[in-house]
Formats: sequence, structure tokens, C-alpha cells
Amino acid sequence: MRWLFALALTVASSTALADTFRFTAIPDEDEARLVERFDKVADYLSEQTGLDVEYIPVKSYAAAVSAFRNNQVQLAWFGGLTGVQARQLVPGSEAIAQGKEDAAFKTYFIANTATGIEPNEDALPEAIKDKSFTFGAKTSTSGRLMPEYYLRERFDEAPESIFSRVGFSDDHTRTMALVQAGTYDIGALNYTVWEAAVKDGRVDTDKVQVIWSTPTYPDYQWTIRGDVDQRYGEDTKAKVQKALLGMTDPDLLESFPRDGFIKASNDDYSPIEKVGKELGLLR
Amino acid sequence: MRFIRRYNSATPRLIDSIVGTNIGARLMRVSLGLIVLTLIALPFADLAITTRDPWSELGRMFVGFITPNILATESPLHAVLLTVAFAFWGVALGILLGFPLALLFMRSRLVRVGCAFVRAIHELFWALLFLQVFGLSAITALAAIALPYAGIFAKVYAEILLQIDTAPQQTLPQGVDRLSRFLYTELPLAWARLASYTRYRFECALRASVLLGFVGLPTLGFHLESAFRQGRYHEAGALLWAFYLLIALLPFWAHRRLVPLWLLGTLFLLGPWPTVDGELLWRFLSVDIWPQPLLAGDFKGLALWFTQLPDLLPAIGNTLLLGLMSTAGSLVVCLLLWPLASRHFGQRATRWLGTGALIGLRSTPELLLAFIFLLLVGPSLLPAWLALSLHNGALIAFLAARHADQLKFGMPGLKGVNLYAYELMPRIYPGILALLFYRAEVIIRETALLGMLGVATLGFHIDSSFAYLMFDQAVALLLITALLNIGVDALSRRLRPDALAPTIERTCEG
Repeated sequence: MRWLFALALTVASSTALADTFRFTAIPDEDEARLVERFDKVADYLSEQTGLDVEYIPVKSYAAAVSAFRNNQVQLAWFGGLTGVQARQLVPGSEAIAQGKEDAAFKTYFIANTATGIEPNEDALPEAIKDKSFTFGAKTSTSGRLMPEYYLRERFDEAPESIFSRVGFSDDHTRTMALVQAGTYDIGALNYTVWEAAVKDGRVDTDKVQVIWSTPTYPDYQWTIRGDVDQRYGEDTKAKVQKALLGMTDPDLLESFPRDGFIKASNDDYSPIEKVGKELGLLR
Repeated sequence: MRFIRRYNSATPRLIDSIVGTNIGARLMRVSLGLIVLTLIALPFADLAITTRDPWSELGRMFVGFITPNILATESPLHAVLLTVAFAFWGVALGILLGFPLALLFMRSRLVRVGCAFVRAIHELFWALLFLQVFGLSAITALAAIALPYAGIFAKVYAEILLQIDTAPQQTLPQGVDRLSRFLYTELPLAWARLASYTRYRFECALRASVLLGFVGLPTLGFHLESAFRQGRYHEAGALLWAFYLLIALLPFWAHRRLVPLWLLGTLFLLGPWPTVDGELLWRFLSVDIWPQPLLAGDFKGLALWFTQLPDLLPAIGNTLLLGLMSTAGSLVVCLLLWPLASRHFGQRATRWLGTGALIGLRSTPELLLAFIFLLLVGPSLLPAWLALSLHNGALIAFLAARHADQLKFGMPGLKGVNLYAYELMPRIYPGILALLFYRAEVIIRETALLGMLGVATLGFHIDSSFAYLMFDQAVALLLITALLNIGVDALSRRLRPDALAPTIERTCEG
């Protein structure tokens, strides 16, 4: 009896919380930085929209997508590919904003300086062949999808045949650490993460350097579920979009790091969808 | 002449011990076979050492470990309690499901096959599956622990019940119903062993609960993995110490009288319960996990679907290779380490340190050990091999030391190496080997977790399929993994001499 009572209490307490508006983000960087970044964003969104907004941290890119699919979060800061995955799974969901940088995003290829590979502006150096290489997370756009696309374009081979060994570090910060430690010779990562780390002195540029930058492609975006207006009241989607586009506080923006947010649409990401299908990462 | 006679008399004994039919000969053959097979397989394994500058990172790791900072994690107590809550409730539900199945286990082939199947899939993969429909919630965590544990409990409980003395049953008058017979003549006899096995399983559940943090459930593992991955080693050190203490102090805080209190007290931590979307659940079960061509009845498409699966042969090869090497590695590690924790060797201080080291090695999640070795020797099969061998070797060593401690001397006055080689080893070796073969199945399941090292095991591809949201492919690969595990289990059971079965149970009680 006591047990039933306890169970009833727990169930009751959980339904009372059901109307918090929750969002998540793909864990592409140090968690400490993410929590700092998104707790501030949650406060800002609460203030602007009048909703009770909460940030839910997740452990992997796939977990971010599945939380969005299960309606455990209604809004998410996705990468290019994870956004396409999420919108495929949740019909009616929409990309509503992207960073100013995201319309023309880049991947940096980095190398441990002990490999002796020299930077090259025009094309990936031939010398990277038969070295060891690490991607970021398996479904990262800037850490997996686009670098693999450009590797195949340059060498006409799968990464497994170009390199002696191919690993997946799971996030951009770890890619940087692993290449700096020489565990892998070469790595590919999100250019904003690299530049922020160089600026803060978190990376030793005597040990690791950028050897090539990819052409630009669309990347990160805010995606919102289609059913938020029904659940949280009319105009919720419009209010959230307005708040995101109106974000001007440099302190908030710098944590992303982005200069500001601009409108985005699902169609902006059709190049990503195409490449994803080509590489067999999407159906 | 004398020389020849001695030679002659020695030869049959040597041959006897290799081709003979006694238990010693069987153990010798099996052990040598395992070592030889591993040596033959070794050239096929990728064991390259490729690293440049691991020392600064390892140095920081070490400093973090010896100067832990407990305040760095935001709510360490909540994480610890949640870890405990998942373990308690996971085991409780596992018993609830597994016990009735144990009563049917020996009579129903269906139950046996079902249990073998749920056992064969690692808790983390169950969690990845449940994550798709229940999200990051207690349902995911509890189901991921309770389901495989139900399969394990059903099997082990059934084996324990089979071994009890049937004499009391014969004395019952005719017409006593099945339930009374069970409650009055079977359960009391089996109780002690059922309870001690359950205690051992609870420790395993604690480790599993920590591991669940690696896929995002907010247990100790969640914070441990982030802190470790992001180089916050003072925080990681503190969390590791917290977990070591939790395991070392298990007999005190998880006393059986406290169990109801824990169960009730931790119930409130499990919420909030998710609202399960029936439509989503149905779509997942009826559409997502099946190959699309199969649902459409398109058999040509099904063939194409099979060709799109990742390369299975290298994956299965790597999985088996790593499993074999790690089983042999565990044996070596165990033989070297068990005296460290046994009362027959050393002094109080060395034993204390030895026991501590073994607790450390067996409690540290394999993934963390593997990551440390990854930094040390670079990406290859080597870090995975070292991590699995040390972890499982230390676990068996600990149980072997407990077993040795229960023995009384047959030959007084023996010391050191002689005591080890002539008195203790012959008596505990059968138990060690039995445990090793029992662990072999666990090792195979664990190989799946180490895909992050760039080693293309089956687990690596399962993880990829979940990341690409290709659940049909993930489920197909899980089925293959399960079949592989069941095969390895059957093989290791065949190698494990039946006469040793009771020894395993007793050793497990340690």
C-alpha cells in the first residue's frame, strides 16, 4: 500500500512539471562550456517568451535526436546532419534560425607538427596518406560528414583506405586533444571550436596546426517541433524564433560562438541531406 | 640404467597429464589450448604502438587522481544515489521477472532460449534500444538492467535449485501442493546460496548502473565520462574514488536489513516518469526495427539490404580475436595478482594495498581503462586488450583470493612460492578456470563497447547504426552479436568440466 502511495506521488509530481518548455543541443564541445552557454540561453528565452524554459544536457548526438523525437525536448540546437535526421523523424518540425556563420561553415583539417605535414591552401596535402586520422562524432556535420565528403573527392577512396587508421573521437575538443597528444596524426573539426580554443590559449599551436580548410557548407541550426503551438499556446513558435533572432547580448553570442542569428529554413539544408545520402549516413 | 629408469617413470606421468582423463589433465589441456590458440592468433591482431607525447596528459591524469576535488561535480550525491537506485531497482525487477522463470527453466526450452537471448545483449545496448522509446528516463535504465538480469537470475537460480538435497521432499505426505513443497522443502535449503549470488549480482548491477551514464543517464558514469573526456581530472579522480568507496564499503551500506529502506528511499529519485507515446512505441516496434524491403515483401530489395550491412566478417573476426586474447590475458593477470589479496601471503599492509588495487582495477569501467591505454600506446587492439585483461583478470583474482582464504592447510610449514604452487594452486585452479570460462561470455559482450578505439568490432557497427538512426540495421547486428555470444557460451560450457560447477557457485559467493 505504502508502495502504491509512493508511486502515485511520484507520478503526480512528474505530470505537474509537464509544461516546461525544454531544449537540448548536440554535445559537440566541453560539457562545462555547453552548460554555461545554454543555462544563459534558457534564462534569456524564459525572459523573452514568458515560457518556463529549461536546458536538458545529453551525452551523444543520437541522444539529442531521440530526445527531440520523443518530445522530451521541443527545441534543439542541431548540427547540419542531426537536424536533417530529426526533421525526417518528426514531420512538421522546422529549422527556424541559424548562426550568421552557419550559412557558410567550414571544417579545418589539423595535423600534429611532428608529422612534418605543411599547411596548404589549395588542396589536402598528399602527405596525409597512410597517417592515422580521427573524425569527431559519427554524425557530426563538420567532424564527419563534410570532411569525409572532401576526402573522397580529393583521393577518390574511402577514408579507411586513405589512412592507416580511422577513429571517432566523439567531440571536437577531444579531436584537438588527441591530435595534440599525437595519438592520431591528423584530425578534422569544427572551425569555430578551433578558433575559440586558439584565442583562449587552450591549444598548443606549436604541437598542432591547421593544414587545410574545406569550402563552405550550411551547418548548425535551431529546430523546433511542429506541435509546440498546440501544447504551449498560439504563436509559441513565432515567439521563440523572434527571441532567437533578436539575441544581441555579446556575452550570450560569444559562448556559441556566433555573431548573431539569422532566419533559416528546411530547404537550406538540402545540400547536407544530399551528401548524407551519398555517404550512406542517411536514407 | 638408473637414469633411464627415472626417465621412463617420468614420461608416462607427463603424457598422462596431457592426454589423461583425470580432471588435472583436462584443466591442463584446456589452459594450454587457450594459450597456444592465443599465440597463434596474435599475429593477426593489430597491436601497433603509435603515440608521440602521452606523458603530459598522463601526468595530469595522475595528479588529478591523487588530488581529487569532490566539490567540482555539481550534485555528486544525487549521482551516487541515482546509481544505487538504478542498481537496487534493476536487480529487484530482475528477480521479480527471473524467479518465476527459474521455476520453469529446466522444463521449458522456450524459456531457456529466451533467457539466453536477453542475457547475450549487453546492458548498454539494451539501454540504447530503450532510449529510442522511453528517452532518458528511469524506465530506460531499469529495463536495461532488469531484462538481461532476469535472464541471468532465471538460469543461475534454476541451477542452484537443481543442486539442493531432495531428501526432505521424499518425507512429505502425498498430496502436498507444489507451492507448499517449494516453500517448505526447497527454498529454505537454497536460500543461502540464492542470497549470496544475488549479492554478487548487485555489485555487477552497480557497475552496470555506472556504465549507463555513458549513454546519458545521469548516474556517476555520466559525470565521470564527461570529466574524463574533457580533461577535468581532479573531478574525474573524485568520482572514481567515490565509486571505489561505494564498492569497498558494500557490505556495510547494502546490508540485507537495509534493503527495504533503500528500495523505498530511492523510489523518489527515479521520477519524473516519461509519458510514453503509444504511437511512437508502436511505430518503433512495427516499422523502425524491421528491414523496409521485408515489410514491403520485396525480396530483391532484401538482398540489397543485406549488402548494405557493414562488413560482417572482419567485425566478427575482430570481436572473436579480442575476446580470445582477453580471456587468455585475464588468466595470466589473475594468476599473477590473486596472491596480492590473499591472507596466505604478505603482511597486513601489503594485503590491504593488494586488495585495494584489485578493487580499483575491477571497479574502474573498462572504457576508462581503455582510454588511458589509448593515450599511452595509441589506437589499436592493444589498449582494448590490456583494459579487458586487467579488468576481468582482477575480478577473477579477487574471487580466487577469497576462495583460497577459505582453505585450511593440508601441508603445514609451506611458504611463498611453494605454498602458491603446491598447496593452493591445485585446489583453487579449477575454480579459476571455471570462472574464466564463465567470464569469457562477458568479455565477448564487453568487446562490443570498445569500438571507440577505432577497432571495428560488432559493437562499433551497432553504435554506428544507432547514430545513423538505422534501427533495423542495429537490431540485425544485435541479433548476430547475440548468436555469437550464445555460441561462445555453449563452447565455454563444454570446456568447463561439469565436476567444477559447484566450485563456481562457491567462488562467486566471495
